[in-house]
Amino acid sequence: MMKFDDPLARQIEALLADSTHEGHPMRAVLEDLYARFLEQSRQIDRISHIADRYQNAERERGQGFANSYQRKLKQLEKIVRISDQYQHMLRDVNDRLQWLSSRDELTGLPNRRFMLGLLGEQLRKLGRGGAPVCVAMADIDHFKTINDTYGHDAGDKVLARLGELFRDNLRAEDVCGRWGGEEFLIVLPAADLEASVTTLARLRELVSALPGPTGESLSFRLSLSIGLVRCDDPGEAPDTLLKRVDAALYAAKWQGRDRTVVA
Amino acid sequence: MRDLIVAGTDSIPAVKADWASGLLEMTGDSYPENAFELYQPVIDWIEAYLAADQRPLNLRLTLLYLNTSSIRALIDILDLLETAHQGGRAVAVVWLYEPDNEGVAALAEEFREDYTFPFEVVAQDR
Repeated sequence: MMKFDDPLARQIEALLADSTHEGHPMRAVLEDLYARFLEQSRQIDRISHIADRYQNAERERGQGFANSYQRKLKQLEKIVRISDQYQHMLRDVNDRLQWLSSRDELTGLPNRRFMLGLLGEQLRKLGRGGAPVCVAMADIDHFKTINDTYGHDAGDKVLARLGELFRDNLRAEDVCGRWGGEEFLIVLPAADLEASVTTLARLRELVSALPGPTGESLSFRLSLSIGLVRCDDPGEAPDTLLKRVDAALYAAKWQGRDRTVVA
Repeated sequence: MRDLIVAGTDSIPAVKADWASGLLEMTGDSYPENAFELYQPVIDWIEAYLAADQRPLNLRLTLLYLNTSSIRALIDILDLLETAHQGGRAVAVVWLYEPDNEGVAALAEEFREDYTFPFEVVAQDR
């Protein structure tokens, strides 16, 4: 667009102002043409100005969307991050609860619930062609006397010590759990009776060397009666198997305690 | 505006918003079936309180576990506080946790990130 102070504009204005051209037919036409040109220049200016403002507004709006999108995205990322962390925390709590619900608090050994599950699992394995499993029930001899003589705290200490001993002296694949009271259930997967008897004899020996509840070693000797059975019938119900183990344990007690009886 | 009281349950936190003292407390787990239903009144209360006058607003949070929509609602609430703080309003958050639950403290720290108003994560005395 022509600026009003540019040479051509100045030249036109000078010509129009010059009185010597008064009455020339082209002068009136030039005057009209120049006026129309000025008007159109103003229009173009106005339209450009409005168009610029629209463009700026659009750009700002777009920028606003981009900013708010970025903000939302950041918020979403934060939500996801925190949510993941909560889920981790819950999983940890869940693991811990699962562990606690399968443990005996006093001895730190697996509890009865866990051992029942394990027994069922072993029998299912046997059903799928797995190796026979040996199961033993060990009972502390004269435990009532320990409680009566030294008190229940001492009795608890004996149970905890035994738990530790069982945990430390079995094969990695053997599992000993506290069945209840002073009874411990030992599952020996893929072991034959002979090897199991040897394992249990070693346990009984270690137990007999434990000091008494108050620390003295002479006046007291702990002993275990153990019933041992082997299961090679995948159809045997866990209850039936446990009854057989109980019967073997009863026989060990009846035969004078401090021994393993295989049935 | 009146006080806002929501009795907590196993799945929703107890909410106590005291208009007179400008203290909003939320305590417990937050697993609502409908987070909007629980948190919209809280957000409304905060907006009304912030709009009413210039008194300070304090949040006291003792939250344990939050589901995802609760996390979102809480971030919306904290964003409201941040905006108020940017506008010169006195707002503050104290997040209390039990000392044997460090995980909760780590999560409160995650929430705190990006905010410029006073936001304390404090082990609770027992």
